[in-house]
Amino acid sequence: MPTTLLDHLHPILAVLIAISGIMAALSLNVMFCIYAERKVSAWIQRRMGPMEVGPHGVMQVIADMVKLLTKQLITPKGVDKWIFHLAPVVVFAPVVAAASLMPFSSGVLISDFDIGLVLVFMFGGFAVIGIFMAGWGSNNKYALLGAMRSVAQNISYEIPLILSALSIVLMVGAMGRGMEIDGQAVKITGTNLAHITLVQAKTDIWFVVYQPIAALIFFIATLAETNRTPFDIPEAESELVAGFHTEYSGMRFAIFFFAEFSNMFIGSMVATVLFFGGWDGPLLPGPVWFFLKTYALVFVMMWIRWTYPRLRFDQLMTFCWSVLIPLSILNLLVTALVIKLV
Amino acid sequence: MGYVTSIAGGFKTLVTGLGVTVKELFKKPVTLQYPHEKPELSPAYRSLIKLIRFDELGTHDCVACMQCVNICPSYCIKIEGGKVEGIKRKRATLFEVDFALCSVCGLCIDTCPTTTLEYSRLYDEAGYDRNWTYDLLAEYRDYEPEFREKQREVEAKEAAEREAKKEAAAKAKAAAEAKKKAAEKTPEKGDGDKKGGDA
Repeated sequence: MPTTLLDHLHPILAVLIAISGIMAALSLNVMFCIYAERKVSAWIQRRMGPMEVGPHGVMQVIADMVKLLTKQLITPKGVDKWIFHLAPVVVFAPVVAAASLMPFSSGVLISDFDIGLVLVFMFGGFAVIGIFMAGWGSNNKYALLGAMRSVAQNISYEIPLILSALSIVLMVGAMGRGMEIDGQAVKITGTNLAHITLVQAKTDIWFVVYQPIAALIFFIATLAETNRTPFDIPEAESELVAGFHTEYSGMRFAIFFFAEFSNMFIGSMVATVLFFGGWDGPLLPGPVWFFLKTYALVFVMMWIRWTYPRLRFDQLMTFCWSVLIPLSILNLLVTALVIKLV
Repeated sequence: MGYVTSIAGGFKTLVTGLGVTVKELFKKPVTLQYPHEKPELSPAYRSLIKLIRFDELGTHDCVACMQCVNICPSYCIKIEGGKVEGIKRKRATLFEVDFALCSVCGLCIDTCPTTTLEYSRLYDEAGYDRNWTYDLLAEYRDYEPEFREKQREVEAKEAAEREAKKEAAAKAKAAAEAKKKAAEKTPEKGDGDKKGGDA
């Protein structure tokens, strides 16, 4: 079994180190992602993006951070205080928890759970509660509408997301039977993120080859789960001001933003683990491959965002219920059948 | 069947769209980094008027004739000027344009008798109050005494030349008259001269 990095430390110390490490890494990642997003959007629109603060605008994000930190935190009249103040935390905490589950390389992981994949989806589902708390507590009709849309969308798209991931779980369970690592028999669990990568590394074939439809469905559903264009209906500026975070200002707003970008990052990491072989790759060390693939997927998300217009709400729901869910169920059935027959 | 074809067709258009944006991604940005890069102005660009500097004068040639002031539909030009000691032509001592009023119609340029007005190439100007006046003579202040000195010299020289010419002309005239008189006085000698000439 791969041992985790922090097994040798006192548990509380280990938890503290892990949390601060993840927070720091996520912060850096979010800053990088914001800068990348602005640059990619600019280049696609043949602009230059941030150019003034620092060389090629690299310090722009830090300037924005300072601005957000120094801004006044406004609590509007008539808000549900507890819910209003708790919402950013509820949105943000699962992101940190989900990030701690990722296997960055063989043996380089913070926490090793056999139900890692289930936990990731669970934490993903938590964000919905936070978003609905924000919308409900804000005492603002736009925020409430945005939150309602978000809940409807996230619950709908979780179904194809989990169904497409399930076909991978089936395959890992079947292919990992009697698998040996360094001459030792290992009990492979389909929902263990590290094991999913191990099976792909062992067979040298990424699951995107076996499961292209599942990969596509998973990616689309991830886009919808992270509320990104073309599925950013909860935040549709032209209709809902800013959606569920309309009433949030300063750092509270920044935390929502932070969570959104981190969710995108985590979605890409899960997709990397499930379909693109995680840390598996030639020459370069594991973590490098892992983050290369993750950022490639993040780039694709940005690319999609700046290509497509926003869907209408009924289109969004129709697409999910009449295309993605039937396809993913079909895909799962065929996968199960093939596994049974082979 | 329509279900499958619509999904396939939709997917194809999505991929086409991604192709379009990725092509744009690698093209050169068209942004002009404005304060750092200056735009290239069209030859037809017109802005606030300015005074032309003439090489032979070393400065502008505004003679404060007030034609531009009179024709200006926006009443935005203010000129003061007058006679200068030792120089024939008048000179402007104040030339102000209120750009807040100016409509850049160009009538002043068309009407200028000494053609010393033209459009400037200013483009990033901003006014901070209602009296957004430009002193068009500002850049010529340093040249003015020098010009006047030179002009005085030139005009003095011209005057001296004229004087000399006049004198010469008068002399010649006097000489011619004297000759004439002399000829009238001694007609024989004149005949004799003529004869001599014939011989």
